[in-house]
Amino acid sequence: MKVNRYEKAAAGAVALMLVAFAAIFFYAPTDWLQGAVQRIFYLHVSSAIAAYGCFTVVLLGGLVFLRNESYAADRWARAGALVGVIFTTVTLVMGSLWAKKVWGQFWVWDARLTSTLVLWIIYAGYLLVRRLAEPGRQAARIGALVGIFGFVDVPVVHFSVTWWVTQHPGPVIVNDALPPEMLATFLFTMFCTIVFAAVLVVIRYRIETLRDAKQVLVEPAKVVSARQPEPVP
Amino acid sequence: MSYLVIAYAFAVALLGGFLIWSLRTLRDLDRR
Repeated sequence: MKVNRYEKAAAGAVALMLVAFAAIFFYAPTDWLQGAVQRIFYLHVSSAIAAYGCFTVVLLGGLVFLRNESYAADRWARAGALVGVIFTTVTLVMGSLWAKKVWGQFWVWDARLTSTLVLWIIYAGYLLVRRLAEPGRQAARIGALVGIFGFVDVPVVHFSVTWWVTQHPGPVIVNDALPPEMLATFLFTMFCTIVFAAVLVVIRYRIETLRDAKQVLVEPAKVVSARQPEPVP
Repeated sequence: MSYLVIAYAFAVALLGGFLIWSLRTLRDLDRR
């Protein structure tokens, strides 16, 4: 069986993630206050940042589509939305498990958690629209608008901890709140997670390209068969 | 400790499963 370049890239991304996990569990020191559960932080925050990146791809894809009607840009947007929703799911679930341990409950309706849930709903809605709508120009235009207006929630999520009083902790990186080993582990995990997300987006883009190509091949055949004249008796 | 294990097990299952599913879909589309 021949290994294609997407599978090679995926293997490289998985290898990087395994090194990141080794750093999280064997290099990073245990937090003196929270204990081992604080290690959730590394992938929880990295996944959120990877999701921001994916939703930026959706934003740019939408803007380029509306400007140039580039279907390649639309495919990048579709790929970014799906991968972004996956990473937002990881962020939400890992965060809820961490919250249960340190706050005693899985969920609180504070600004950070609520805006992140809204972000997930917006892009899940985007995927639903793209799945239900007949593929073509109209669906791509609606998708572009949802992707562009949905992106407004990304800065809301990011700055929610500084704009409002939240139970979720504020920024720890910019406030120099991490010891050097934790900071190094976090930066390395973030790098590996972004590479992993980028590889996933590229793979999904290739899938969307092949699906669109098949759509073009199938659609004219449908039209031809529909327009075939009825046999003359 | 158990919350930490569940959190990472979930992340690995979701991200790994999504990667494998995507690669299989790609292979199927390439083959057709």
